[in-house]
Amino acid sequence: MIVLLKMLVFPGFAFLFAAALAFDWIDRRMIALWHGRVGPPWYQPLADFVKLLAKEDIVTEGTHSVAAALLPIVSLASVLTASCYIPVGGTVGTSFEGDLIVVLFLLSLPALAYFLAGWVSTGVYSILGGHRSLLQYFSYEVPFLMAVACPAILSGSWSIATIAQAQARTAWHAAMLPVGFALALIGLIGKLKRDPLDIPKAKSEVVAGPLTDFSGRKLALWHLTMNVQTVLGIFLLVNLYFGESRFLDRMPALPVFGLKSVVTLLAMSTASALYARLRIDQLMDLGWRVLSPLALIQILGALWIGG
Amino acid sequence: MARTTVPIGPQHPLLKEPVAFQIELEGERVAESSMRMGYVHRGIERLCQERTYVQNLHLVERVCGICSHIHATTFCQTVESLLGLEVPLRAAYIRALLCELERIHSHLLWMGVLARNIGLDTIFMYAWRDREVSLDIMEELSGGRVSHAVNVIGGVRQDIDSEQVQSILERLDALDQQLARLLDVVEHERSLRGRTKGIGRLSLAQARAYCAVGPVARASGLDIDLRRDALRPPYDRLSFEVPTHTDGDVWARTLVRMQEAVVSVQLCRDLLTGMPGGPVSVRAPRRVPPAEAIGRSEAPRGEVFYYVRSDGSDTPARVKIRTPTLPNLVTLPVQLGGVTMADVSVVLSGVDLCIACADR
Repeated sequence: MIVLLKMLVFPGFAFLFAAALAFDWIDRRMIALWHGRVGPPWYQPLADFVKLLAKEDIVTEGTHSVAAALLPIVSLASVLTASCYIPVGGTVGTSFEGDLIVVLFLLSLPALAYFLAGWVSTGVYSILGGHRSLLQYFSYEVPFLMAVACPAILSGSWSIATIAQAQARTAWHAAMLPVGFALALIGLIGKLKRDPLDIPKAKSEVVAGPLTDFSGRKLALWHLTMNVQTVLGIFLLVNLYFGESRFLDRMPALPVFGLKSVVTLLAMSTASALYARLRIDQLMDLGWRVLSPLALIQILGALWIGG
Repeated sequence: MARTTVPIGPQHPLLKEPVAFQIELEGERVAESSMRMGYVHRGIERLCQERTYVQNLHLVERVCGICSHIHATTFCQTVESLLGLEVPLRAAYIRALLCELERIHSHLLWMGVLARNIGLDTIFMYAWRDREVSLDIMEELSGGRVSHAVNVIGGVRQDIDSEQVQSILERLDALDQQLARLLDVVEHERSLRGRTKGIGRLSLAQARAYCAVGPVARASGLDIDLRRDALRPPYDRLSFEVPTHTDGDVWARTLVRMQEAVVSVQLCRDLLTGMPGGPVSVRAPRRVPPAEAIGRSEAPRGEVFYYVRSDGSDTPARVKIRTPTLPNLVTLPVQLGGVTMADVSVVLSGVDLCIACADR
């Protein structure tokens, strides 16, 4: 019963839905601040979601309609499943040794679903976007996985909750592995397909990439998946790199966690505002020539610090 | 290798105006490209033959929204040549002032569009915010932000007073600072440079062969600028730089346009402070004796060329408009050869297409 409540309410689906909308709103306001504008009101992400649910759901001729219907559901389901293992302010649905690997796998399923969404659609833009999304996946995923592995190596555990708690004894992993945190953040920007790594859905090049032909309820689910993925990605990084700290253990856990997450989100929004979109070959160059070697060095650093 | 055909246009988030490109991709590289125009053809040249010269003044201003004033000015200059009219110097100064303000607004508009198309929305917002200064000045001078209707055949329709001059000069100082900041970003922002450097290269020989005009030509090293070369008042009394570059890529064009905007602000200042007194128009007869004349001006995108032939009545026999986008469009297949799909949007943005101008 408790587990069911945890799954459905907190830190489960209801909380995630609200957090997804809230994070989207904060992101848009931060980018608007950089742009010199005001930005949307607090209910805008909710209004967008409701509006999309009400719109006509068109399936273009030649698209595999069953696949097109299942893919957004599968990707949403996978990110929601991943939420069971990610602690939110100390509260976690369930955890076991190795749940970090499971979460990483579940959080990479949407990338596959995104590519397949482009594959089953018939438009040129969808297929081009799908190709780019896979190329991008291979560029950011390796440094991201290595960067996420560093805290696990350092704390000697592959359970996210344990890694978060381990930092209470030592120090924040971000302080000991700063390069790792930077790499994980860049990898997360690539995973979430945010500017400057929104190459698969670059509006001026491939219109909307794999999702060009999606509309209505399916598109609403896709957007919800991406927003929930944003939330969970940030929560994951915060747990791994800015976990519990003995200096802050007097303060209530949830607000502190929320603050850390929001600061990470603001950093990602700033990166969105400041940089032009990379070209896919520039990203692959960056990923393999700079990020992956740095990640390898960081793993060696983690091994050395861990003793 | 199998080829994919990617249609860009007539509707595409990249394009401001409808034009259709068919890009044939081999992998990620462009193998061939073709283009189809005419989606905004309104038959303006034919319509001109059925309207009087005064009505045509308002018609040609609507060839393009971004460079509306320069079209009207060039048409006026051509008809004044037909009539043998000498426009008062003060009118020439006021016309030139609006031309320069239009140049600033057009280049800032373009900068925003380029930035948006490479994913740098922040610069889009900043450039368009700064553009508001020039639009506000134009509105104060003429009553309209985008179409001004300032010209009459024989001069301009209204004068500027010293209070307006003062307030405009102050705002030009603020605009100067903002442009300096934008120019700094263009020169030093690495992600912007990474997306635009080396893309869409047009060599000097190619620019000459295709008769490229405007910033596209100047970025390839072709030093042509009708303001300096045509020696018409008031530019023959002003000294100003014409920025050129040698690389011929989109980054060079960005630099040239931003530097031109800075030069234009200085030109506006010189025009306001050096404006002579006197009337602002002379009376023009309604019927134009049979003759033919040409008029050329430097629009924001390059040389705009008007040919008018009169037949003694109050409507022209032929009006021919050659806009600067037309020769620049022809260079596109050359620029698009061998670039990747992602660069197509950069190349198309870099040429600063004004399809309404090209289609008329």
